[in-house]
Amino acid sequence: MEVLNSLAYGFSVALTPFNLLMAFIGCLVGTVVGALPGLGPTNGVAILIPVAFALGLPPSSALILLASLYYGAMYGGRISSILLNIPGDEPAVMTTLDGYPMAQKGEAATALALSAVASFIGATLSTVGLTLFAPLLAQIAIHFGPAEYFALFVLAFAMLSGIATRNPIKSLIAALLGLVLSTIGTDPQTGIPRYTFGIYKLYEGLDFIIALVGLFAVSEFLFFIENPGAMHFADRPLGRVRISFRDIRFSLGAMLRGSGVGFISGVLPGAGASLGSFVAYTMERRISNQNDTFGKGDPRGVAAPEAGNNAAAGGALVPMLTLGVPGSGTTAVLLALLISLNITPGPLLFQQHPDVVWGLIAALYVANLMLLVMNLPLVGIFARMLAVPPWILMPGVVMIAYVGVYSINHSIFDLLLITGFGLLGYVLRKLDIPLVPVVLGLLLGGIMETNLRRALSISGGDWSILISSPLTWGLWALVVLMLGLSVFFEVRHARRQRQLAHAEVPD
Amino acid sequence: MSDRLTGLVLLALAVAYGVTASGFETRFGDPLGPAIFPLVLAIPLGLFSLYLIVRPDPEPDWARGRPLLKQALTLIVFVAYAYVLEPLGFIVATLLGVAALGWLLGARLWQSAAAGLGIALVLFLLFNSLLGLPLPAGVLALRG
Repeated sequence: MEVLNSLAYGFSVALTPFNLLMAFIGCLVGTVVGALPGLGPTNGVAILIPVAFALGLPPSSALILLASLYYGAMYGGRISSILLNIPGDEPAVMTTLDGYPMAQKGEAATALALSAVASFIGATLSTVGLTLFAPLLAQIAIHFGPAEYFALFVLAFAMLSGIATRNPIKSLIAALLGLVLSTIGTDPQTGIPRYTFGIYKLYEGLDFIIALVGLFAVSEFLFFIENPGAMHFADRPLGRVRISFRDIRFSLGAMLRGSGVGFISGVLPGAGASLGSFVAYTMERRISNQNDTFGKGDPRGVAAPEAGNNAAAGGALVPMLTLGVPGSGTTAVLLALLISLNITPGPLLFQQHPDVVWGLIAALYVANLMLLVMNLPLVGIFARMLAVPPWILMPGVVMIAYVGVYSINHSIFDLLLITGFGLLGYVLRKLDIPLVPVVLGLLLGGIMETNLRRALSISGGDWSILISSPLTWGLWALVVLMLGLSVFFEVRHARRQRQLAHAEVPD
Repeated sequence: MSDRLTGLVLLALAVAYGVTASGFETRFGDPLGPAIFPLVLAIPLGLFSLYLIVRPDPEPDWARGRPLLKQALTLIVFVAYAYVLEPLGFIVATLLGVAALGWLLGARLWQSAAAGLGIALVLFLLFNSLLGLPLPAGVLALRG
């Protein structure tokens, strides 16, 4: 019952008029950002973080704003998937498979309504899971020492390498690049400047927010200008959005299964919402595809991935809040916000800042209700947003990012830095080197180094402390398992490609 | 080829990074000091970049011709924006910036200029007046 008390306290934080307003703005902006192709939750949060920071919002309000945006983007992603067959963001890719065929059959309104309900169920169930599960995990994590934390961070990168890209080596390179960037600046323990090249501005280290805005928002613009045709907006007439109880009952099983699978894949560090919707869809097709209706507009093929990606969004908050290890790119960004606000995430967060944690959890229930209301009757308005021409939209979005960054320090150097990071992000993405590990590395580098050095100074420089407890054995075993699996999949994939190539070339 | 080149650049980075790190001095009570973490990073980074050189992925599809030119112009706009923001002020700089970017995205010049004016005014009102985050007024301040 302790959980209920904490939750009641959380609602007392979340239901203040100001925080309700933050949740509302977050939901609204999130749905729009999610709906627009090319702008995903990470971009949305990246664009708004500088604004939240420059405004000096209190930590709980800033987190409520950005977490609502995160949930909102998960709802919004489905709109263009269903109407245009263009996923609004990466997790919404699976929704196109049955959502667009439904729209072609003239059932776009039903698909939108059903997916809104599925999103609501997925997000609410995973928020319940977060409420129950996070405090338990925090209790286990209290026993983590510096050696365990170091292993945990390595595990987060290993998990990411298995999922983020086809070439696991490139994902590890990305993580190392981020970690290398994190060492720029004055060493906090000895005061020695490292890798600053005498540039005064670099003594404070690279600001995470600036790297993030550049890597995501600016590089996205460079991609868009290379291939503007990838994002043609269109205005389509949309019938009245109604949903019958029968439709919901038909897909209820799919929604519940999708929520469960989604939540679990969200909890795994580094996996995130894309995996959640992918696994939810594949599993549902295996279970329910008796009449070969999947891929041709089966409502369950819309319900399952939508429940899955929304549930994963909630699940990804579990490791972020309890361990300080983000479960996805967007939670990495939320984590950065906490660290920038001088709040150390991890098991102690629940004791030291209950207003932040429980206020956030309660706000997620509220945001979900808001999003359901916004996305059932008002979905037509969001769909119309897709008709705004990109030459207004994209420059506008980039300008918000620039204004936000400028407002933090009033620094021209920062504006040049985000442009530089934009170019770097573009080149890395072209080379198939994923950006999320870079961001994660830059973010976690400081804490990882502190834990490594703390562990080694406890042991007097003896490296075996890193493998000295059963907990560390378990974590390192998982690291080896994850790396082994990703190499295995990579090799198998390469072999299949080669076989295909042989099959196509007759000799 | 791109991967091999990237591998070479990263290998050079890893070596320079590691060598610089071993120059950081160690102090008493912190047995491994500020050098150890960079060394822990430099070694795997070097190994992985060797892997890239030996086994590169297929060549990515780099931009060529007009798109490449447009990207270069976009970067010039971004850099120029940073330099003119304070002298010209937010409204004028943003108007010019959005007009240029919109034009690069294929809009007619009057269309993107109109969008620039609208976006500049809306953002200025939103940030400067509503949210209370001061933005440079620049040349327009002289008139006021």
